[in-house]
Amino acid sequence: MGYLNNSVVTVDAILTKKGRELLARGDGSFRITQFALSDDEIDYTLYNTSHPSGSAYYGEAIEAMPLLEAFPDETQIMKYKLTTLPRGTARLPVLATKSTVVLKQGQSEAITPQTLNYLGGNQTFETSGYTFTIADARVASIFQGVGINTEEANRLNTTTTLGTNVSKTVIGTSLNITSTTVNTLFGTNTQLQTTLTIIGRDSGARVTIPVTITRVNQ
Amino acid sequence: MSFKRFDAEDLVIASEAVSAPVWSTGEPILTTFFTSSVQPNLESGKFYYDVYQTGSTLDISAVQFSIAYADLDGSGSAPYNSAVAGKAPSSTIYGQYRSLILGDEESSFSFGGVTQEYFYALAIDRDRFKESLLPASFNLTLKNTSNRALYLTDNSANGTPVVFNDAGRVYQVVSGSNGVAYTGVNANGYTTASGSYGLFLPDVGIILLNGAALDITGTAEGIALGTTRGNTAAANPAKLYQVITSGSAFQLSYKETVTSQFVFARVRNSEYNYSTNPSYITGTGDLKISSMLDTPQTYITSVGMYNDNNELLAVAKLSRPLLKDFTKEALIRIKLDF
Repeated sequence: MGYLNNSVVTVDAILTKKGRELLARGDGSFRITQFALSDDEIDYTLYNTSHPSGSAYYGEAIEAMPLLEAFPDETQIMKYKLTTLPRGTARLPVLATKSTVVLKQGQSEAITPQTLNYLGGNQTFETSGYTFTIADARVASIFQGVGINTEEANRLNTTTTLGTNVSKTVIGTSLNITSTTVNTLFGTNTQLQTTLTIIGRDSGARVTIPVTITRVNQ
Repeated sequence: MSFKRFDAEDLVIASEAVSAPVWSTGEPILTTFFTSSVQPNLESGKFYYDVYQTGSTLDISAVQFSIAYADLDGSGSAPYNSAVAGKAPSSTIYGQYRSLILGDEESSFSFGGVTQEYFYALAIDRDRFKESLLPASFNLTLKNTSNRALYLTDNSANGTPVVFNDAGRVYQVVSGSNGVAYTGVNANGYTTASGSYGLFLPDVGIILLNGAALDITGTAEGIALGTTRGNTAAANPAKLYQVITSGSAFQLSYKETVTSQFVFARVRNSEYNYSTNPSYITGTGDLKISSMLDTPQTYITSVGMYNDNNELLAVAKLSRPLLKDFTKEALIRIKLDF
């Protein structure tokens, strides 16, 4: 992964792994309809409000930084989305959920996130639900969103990709996950690890939590 | 709040023709040629020779084109079975190209109006010619051991109507350069009695060279190539390879249509002025920088493109952070090539 030449403003665009998968599927699911912006790589602690040259220079250290090229792994990019909120907003929506998911082989769990600081409420279930993305779909034998019965949500629940460690995304107000019972995936290890990313479909709030599957079958 | 739908005019499909040299070297003219010491002795060597731009054992070597010899009667190569006359690798190659180019097992190859029974085929490697060869970019110098040189090109720049057959566009290979025939010997750049020097088939990446024209001796029209016709293995591809190597100049370009999708991400002044970046907010969602309360600012580094299911299909990274606040709007143009 290299740095982009920042002497001129350019845009480096690539398809993600998921994009290539859907393009190959050829069922019309590769259809760009919306966009989001993110500020991945930005460290706002570099924003210096004590800069001696004044407010025009507060972001000097950020604006000079070279950026890395895009990653094709859709779970490793677009992590920190920019959001549209009314001016004067002091608190941004954040998700409240488990800080980690630990499952034994074959064990099931339901995950129901809530959104804080959203629409004036302390705790809210978002109307459009949440997007749940597991980075390695092989570790879950069941990975199903429930509570949202739109056509797209149902399609995502029934879509499977065989063989490789691609991510899987489902939509729902909560998630039902059952860990894999396949011993082969563990190799000589006693645990499998991946991540679960939850994004509020209305608020854009996001959280990524680690998922650990513990081997029980020998 | 994080996703914004594209309008219909924000997504534009455009096609663009791109041309470049065919060769792995990136140079317009290939001047050095190598064959493998192994491949010609394998079973495949009875049918064709692979030609590389460097020694074939080097990591950077790549097949540039292959040379095959085709003969209607199976001459120039040993028969598969001595009891079955006329069935040999050279007749197989002849039938292969007849099927591909003429599409009719009853037809014969005609070069500039003269029917011939044998020819050489230069099959350009698929990775090299991409989509099609670029007419008028073909210039090949053949030189024999007597230093007699023949300069060949296609006749695409002569202004004659393009002829099509089962392999797409067909141009005659003539004496000349850059698509224009040399008229010093014959007005059309052909030989006097053996027809043109071959066929240039840009859409399938194949150049046929008329063996009879190259074999002409005693005049400036041929280079006395010395094609051997008989029921024994004659390694005719090696003879053509030798005159190509001595000529030391094979110029060829490809033409490719690249289809791109242009995506215009339009960001209004009131949009995307807050961030979910952990260095921007605390764990409870409070802004970490007090000055952001009055004048929130963000820095755009990436544009994610999604489908209706919020699946990330493509991503674009800016080369440097783009400041965004309530006084700024942005238009980011993204080009996706397929």
